[in-house]
Amino acid sequence: MLAKVGSERSTIGLQTSVSTPVRRPARASVKFVDSGLKWACRLAGCTILLMLALPVTLLVIKAWPAIERFGLNFLVTTTWRANELEQPILDAAGKIQIVDGETLTRTIPPEFGAAPVLYGTAVSTGIALLFAVPFSLAAALFIVRVAPQLKVKLPGKRQFSIAEPLSFLIEFLAAIPSLAYGLWGLFVLGPFLANVVEPFLARTFSAVPILSGMFYQTVTIAGEEVRRPLSFTGRDMLCGGLVLGIMILPIITAVSRDVLKSVPRAQIEGSLALGATWWQSCVEMLRYGRAGLFGAVMLGLARAAGETMAVAMVIGNNNQIVLSPIAPAQTMASLLANEFAEAGPGMHRASLMYVAVILLVMSLGFNIVARYFVVGRGGRTSGAH
Amino acid sequence: MQARRENKPARVVSSAAYAACALASLAIIAVLLLITGYLVKIGLDGMSIDLFTRDPTGDPVDPGGMRHAIAGTLTLLAMASTVGVPLGVLAGIYLSEYAGDGGKLNSTIRFTADVLSGVPSIVVGIIGYELLVVPMGNYNGYAGAAALAFIMVPIVARTTEEMLRLVPQSYREGSLGLGATKAQTIIRVVIPAALGSMITGVMLALARVAGETAPLLFTALGSRFLSFDPGQPFPSLTVQIYNYATGPYTNEKKLAWAGMLVLIAILFVLNLAIRFIASRSLKKMVPS
Repeated sequence: MLAKVGSERSTIGLQTSVSTPVRRPARASVKFVDSGLKWACRLAGCTILLMLALPVTLLVIKAWPAIERFGLNFLVTTTWRANELEQPILDAAGKIQIVDGETLTRTIPPEFGAAPVLYGTAVSTGIALLFAVPFSLAAALFIVRVAPQLKVKLPGKRQFSIAEPLSFLIEFLAAIPSLAYGLWGLFVLGPFLANVVEPFLARTFSAVPILSGMFYQTVTIAGEEVRRPLSFTGRDMLCGGLVLGIMILPIITAVSRDVLKSVPRAQIEGSLALGATWWQSCVEMLRYGRAGLFGAVMLGLARAAGETMAVAMVIGNNNQIVLSPIAPAQTMASLLANEFAEAGPGMHRASLMYVAVILLVMSLGFNIVARYFVVGRGGRTSGAH
Repeated sequence: MQARRENKPARVVSSAAYAACALASLAIIAVLLLITGYLVKIGLDGMSIDLFTRDPTGDPVDPGGMRHAIAGTLTLLAMASTVGVPLGVLAGIYLSEYAGDGGKLNSTIRFTADVLSGVPSIVVGIIGYELLVVPMGNYNGYAGAAALAFIMVPIVARTTEEMLRLVPQSYREGSLGLGATKAQTIIRVVIPAALGSMITGVMLALARVAGETAPLLFTALGSRFLSFDPGQPFPSLTVQIYNYATGPYTNEKKLAWAGMLVLIAILFVLNLAIRFIASRSLKKMVPS
């Protein structure tokens, strides 16, 4: 019935728009409009190319002083210190030298390395994926395989399946600004983790040999290494990862749902006809759509790795590598958000630009891979923006 | 009988998996509803008419409202759309109507438009800073709007292209056969047929950039005053929320939550409108 209405409408549309008589096709103004539109469109198309080329070039130029000075060592250098450091000079016996009542010091220049932020990005994104992927895939399966059969009856004869409102909810949640998730993470999840979850984890795992290391940090105080327990702040990679995970849930769910929907019915019906259980046919479905699902996960990964505000609010902003998920850290994006405005021109700003280049290249890489798998294999990315 | 007994573990696994899927979906919905519910609850707490009618006072006890920020965000969106929408639509028309499927340049443009939507928003902000803030000497609204437009263009271009492609080829052939030029065909036949879905694409892009903070941090910067001079630092809802939320004062934090609720309400309305227009125009456009 629906199709009939549609076709009638479209015929009417066709008639009204095409039946407008075309007057004197050779008139100069018509020709002008024709070539004008053509060139305007071409120009706009080429602007898109420029929109990628120009920024990338600009970033690389601005980052060049840092790229030239640090090279690829930038990626493995673990110190990020924007300020000069005054350090007392020790004598042969390891004592601080004092001359005329003043401590002898030397000035250590600022040092820049991206390893802490790379580490922070990797771990927080990893936590996000660990959390988000199983839930998203399960929800996508639910929407595609279960929800269409669950009908809600309205008064009268109308009924609808819960797949529709479910999809709307997921898509709306994908549209909620990351700032909102950041607010929630900062004021609700963070305190909850700090007061409840982290003490609980510490109580439970402090006796387990390897895991117990998670709750301690080795710091150097006046040349001595001290092992001290981490405080539970709720502003750490665990919180950042969870917030990111919740944030990317809707995207991964929406794209995987589209991928699973595009699996041919015959594939599922065939397996069911051969005696497969519900779950076995689901596995078949997942196997069939695995490339697209991989793409969906990559899209989530790209979104998580490039996310700024939500992370900057909850991750603790600490430019150090501490091997524990409950330690404050810093991601590439949050580093840029926190330090870019204050950085004076010079090596600090150039190094930040270098980080921006790495972030850009990484995100573009993830996106290219994701699109190759999602679009290139018959899935669609309607929920992906 | 033998076969059925062998199947039993498989069936148990299946039922367990079924339950797990349902539970996982429930959990997601619960968590997300929890978050939005919390936002709404706390947001309503701080909501008052002052939010819409007053500007910040700078006084932590009586922080005023966010009129300047709401006006600022709307102005920024309007400015960004003025640049971003025509550019995106033209690029979309190019990809769908002029480019054809082959050609290295065209596939490069299509690929670039796809890839552009993956540029992290903070990087967009930095690019805006270098291109528009440094040359102009101070943070300004133009740079903020340009950064938002930068994010809009690829989204608008790709949705426009996809929607125009859904218009049946016979429409174009009919129009061209009657002697219309290509431009006439596009303007009078193809675009009217796809207009509803093209509007959806634009609103999708708007919804996406309305919630962006990171591109504005280093471009428009934000301001505590109602301003309509884009040459100066420009207020915006998101940056104001961020500043209040990370600041020290309780009353300002309340305002942040209320402002977030306003923003989400705007997005929700946009989303409903998108759904509505999309479903209507798709029915109109695709006959089958």
